[in-house]
Amino acid sequence: MSPRIDRRMMLRGALGFALAIPFLPSILPRSAQAGPMGSKRRRFVALSTEHGGIWQANMYPADATLTQTAKYAGREVRKGQLSAAVSGGVATLSPVLSAPSSALTAALAAKMNVLRGLDVTFYLAHNRGGRLGNYADNDGNLNQEQGLDHIPTIDQVMAWSPSFYGSLDTIKERSLVMGDDKLSWGYASPSSKSGAVQPLPAESDSLTLFNKIFSPPPDPSATRPPVVDLVLADYNRLRNGNRRLSQADKQRLDDYIQRLDELQRKIKVQASCSGVMVPTKTSTDEAQASSYPIDPEAQKRFWQLMNDVIVAAFSCDTCRIATLRIGDIFSTDPEDWHHGVAHQASTPDGVKEGILSASYQRVFSDVYLDLVTKLDAVQDPEGTVLDSAMVTWVQESGCSTHDPIEMPVVTAGGAAGSMVTGQYCDYRNLGSVGHVPSDTSAISSHTGLVYNQWLGSTLQLMGLSPSEYESGGNGGYGKLRLSTDSESWYPGYQKYGSAETAVMGEILPFLKV
Amino acid sequence: MHHSKPSAGAVALALCLATAACKKAPPEPVTSTPDSFTCDPAAVPHAVALRRLSRHQYVNTVSELIRFADAADPDAVLSELGAVLAALPADTPLGPDKHYGAFTSLDQAIQQEHADGIYALALAAGKSLTSSPARLGALAGSCATDADPANDAACVADLIRRLGERALRRAITDADVAFYSQPAAKPPLGAADYADVVALLLSAPESLFFVESGADPTASPAPLGAYELASRISYHFWQTLPDEQLFARARSGELLTEAGYQAEVERVFADPRTRLALSSFYAEWLANTTLNGLDARLGTPVYDAIRGDFTPGPDTRQHLLDEVVDAARYYSFDTPGSFDDFFNSARSFGRTADVAQIYGIPPWDGVSPPPVAPGRSGLLTRPAFVATGSNDTRPIMKGVFIRKAILCDSIAPPPGNAAANPPPSSAHASTRQVVENLTQTGICASCHPLQINPLGFATENFDPLGRLRNKEPLFDDQGQPTGLVPIDTTSMPRVTFEDTSKSSGAGDLHAILTRSPKLHACFARQYFRFTFGRMEDGQKDGCALSDVKKALDAEAPLPEVLRAIALSPSFKTRSFQEVSP
Repeated sequence: MSPRIDRRMMLRGALGFALAIPFLPSILPRSAQAGPMGSKRRRFVALSTEHGGIWQANMYPADATLTQTAKYAGREVRKGQLSAAVSGGVATLSPVLSAPSSALTAALAAKMNVLRGLDVTFYLAHNRGGRLGNYADNDGNLNQEQGLDHIPTIDQVMAWSPSFYGSLDTIKERSLVMGDDKLSWGYASPSSKSGAVQPLPAESDSLTLFNKIFSPPPDPSATRPPVVDLVLADYNRLRNGNRRLSQADKQRLDDYIQRLDELQRKIKVQASCSGVMVPTKTSTDEAQASSYPIDPEAQKRFWQLMNDVIVAAFSCDTCRIATLRIGDIFSTDPEDWHHGVAHQASTPDGVKEGILSASYQRVFSDVYLDLVTKLDAVQDPEGTVLDSAMVTWVQESGCSTHDPIEMPVVTAGGAAGSMVTGQYCDYRNLGSVGHVPSDTSAISSHTGLVYNQWLGSTLQLMGLSPSEYESGGNGGYGKLRLSTDSESWYPGYQKYGSAETAVMGEILPFLKV
Repeated sequence: MHHSKPSAGAVALALCLATAACKKAPPEPVTSTPDSFTCDPAAVPHAVALRRLSRHQYVNTVSELIRFADAADPDAVLSELGAVLAALPADTPLGPDKHYGAFTSLDQAIQQEHADGIYALALAAGKSLTSSPARLGALAGSCATDADPANDAACVADLIRRLGERALRRAITDADVAFYSQPAAKPPLGAADYADVVALLLSAPESLFFVESGADPTASPAPLGAYELASRISYHFWQTLPDEQLFARARSGELLTEAGYQAEVERVFADPRTRLALSSFYAEWLANTTLNGLDARLGTPVYDAIRGDFTPGPDTRQHLLDEVVDAARYYSFDTPGSFDDFFNSARSFGRTADVAQIYGIPPWDGVSPPPVAPGRSGLLTRPAFVATGSNDTRPIMKGVFIRKAILCDSIAPPPGNAAANPPPSSAHASTRQVVENLTQTGICASCHPLQINPLGFATENFDPLGRLRNKEPLFDDQGQPTGLVPIDTTSMPRVTFEDTSKSSGAGDLHAILTRSPKLHACFARQYFRFTFGRMEDGQKDGCALSDVKKALDAEAPLPEVLRAIALSPSFKTRSFQEVSP
């Protein structure tokens, strides 16, 4: 199959590192057909935004979209076809999920899903890694003493799974961690799943990320053995030769030795792309101005440069996983965003909700859709790169800040033919009320299925089997914690039972091909 | 995110914590840490598992090794290594609270970026140091550049013994020579052989980790060996590897004597590098991470109305933070004074026009005695701690900072949605009135009015840009004046819950805090965390903590306080006991 770069790709590429447009035609034929034998190459992106707190009417398509029903987990679940209404050159799935119709096309909407009715079963409030499964990374509401330990986030479960990376021959980085930190968590010794679970360092410089995935290939004429072999030997010499080392000391050395193993692997990688042009712009240049925090156009350029790196990495198969934690507000509002906007978004007059929703719409249009359309413009052996991927947009909270009920999930891509797309799926139990609106809050909610099921579904759709990630006798991914007395005010309290937990190991309804 | 400025979320969190902590009635959500320490010589402190060098220490170390390896032109080599040095992963400040009193030395994570970055740096350093005959000669001597292959093995061995002692920070054995000479095993040797030897040494585990075995190979705890003591001293006071004299004292064993050790502590402390290194302690301890950029809201109506003709620049925030460190340096090194002198100093150390304008006096020239700033009464009135860069002052945030960073109190985590109602700006009421109205009833009333807000109210006579004010101007959303309200700085700070001393304002607050044993105890804790790269154990680390606190209580000059920890037996010993995970 010939590579095909269409005009959209070239236009968007010009925003970034001229997206190395010249290199794409020369690299795609080989890389696109260089997937692992007998398995489909999949890619995963998790884009994450702060606070959440988007009212349902702004986040989701209209209820009338939900034309089909099914019985599942003791409730009626619903779905309907995603179809954007176009008016005045704007395509709209919902107020937040709207964009120029030239970008949010019917064909692209058919590759998306919008999921509603996914809940973390206990109070998280402000968190970072929770959206990807590490619920322990919250701001002190729950901690290890209460039985909540840090666990790797799903992106890192994939990154070290042989089911996801059947072959690492071209992989320079197992994952790209972008933006604000603590969205991605992994083991200190990831290949042996041992050592401390710690946040991965996040990178905000697109050029640095580019250089990680397109470092020069080894010189074929070089005959000297790589020094790293001896560095490894040195570490083992110390580990096995010093009697004063404690077991904890040795674990630390083991952590480093595994990193050296990974380095040794990466040194031998031959990227499938050649002639890649080094970007002429870098994201951090966009963030230098003092006005950056309230300059959504600069923020757009910043994140689109990051998107370009993801597209290049996926296209050249030097990496297949990316996580982006977007802390930028995509608004010109000068207020204290956290207090003045996000935490006021549930007030009945809806003024601050309007500001918050508008900022989320910009994230959707300027960042998420930008990435999705770029990925959809690059051909893969079976469709486009987007078709092989699952590009998710997840949020810190549900429809009310602090509250992990009705956590919205937007996806794009078919996970290499594993996932049905083009749907709005609603898993709420309309007979189970979460929040009740009050004179100080306009938010209402219903409890749904457990977020762990979504995380497990993602892992399965990315090619992992449940035996690789399930633990504690529960299905899905992540700690299951149903209630404590101290959470009696939490609307989800004691509203999840065997109906929800029994199905956690399954792929969510409507998604499996 | 991409700036050093705090995110809105960061600002909010502390408020969330503070606000949410108030949901429940007593037991008190604010918990005081003990304000005294007992030294039990039999207590065995834990050791951090194979502690690694911080990024700062590693970069300094490599830079020193380059200077040792190429004394002729080290700056050129370091310039060539600039990109790989910059690529080394940053450490994250960690501590009981993620915003206040957090230290990078507590970040002991090992990431893939460490292995990748250190290896790339080692290769680049090896290549650069051997990139010309002159550099190769400077590195290994003329034996490396002559045409005689017969002396190559000895030449490499000599390099390994000299450079290796510094890179590994211990005596080099014959086995080491045999191991590290493996890349250069086949004479005649060329530059690439020497480059690989250098790369291997710089990648060695002992160059990244503090590998300590103790002077007694069987005891636990055991006194540290001479080289290990040299490293402890130099990495604490200089944040880099020992100098030649320390290595010499290690080789000779002099460091193992009490007199020899004390003499080196004195010498190292007097070195200008200590001033620089310990500045990082003050900078991290007193970092107000929730301070916004003072220029971020320029051009917005209310902020412009508040700032008047003062236009903060993009560096103003950093200038304010630097001023705090300059004050600490002044009392620690330039004109040594006690900790209390530092804490209660009303002098301005603002060297830049923007900080000086905030103080309302000329900039300090850095040489003359710093000018006394009108209306200031101590550390907590420095602009870095009263400014916000937003439209309002933040009494709650100021209170939380004092509780956590200055008093080492802990505030309970937020239950429920207690943070959903932050104090809004008002066009008709003072900030204090707004905060009081919000927090004096309901779930917040058991804590905020008693233990958080009063600490912040004491400095309400400073505006959101850190300037002295005697009334608070109010504005509508368009920046039009709506009123001028009086300032009320009176409060009952309750440094401890039982302490009902009343304060008329910032001066009284400083006096009350100075009288409290919590102030010195907290400083001892913070300095301990910075020094040992771990949280203290109040019982097992009581000796080291009490050594520092005794010096503080005696109002010893700060140099004496800062040296006290290195003279503590805990600094010179290490536990080798297995610790349960």
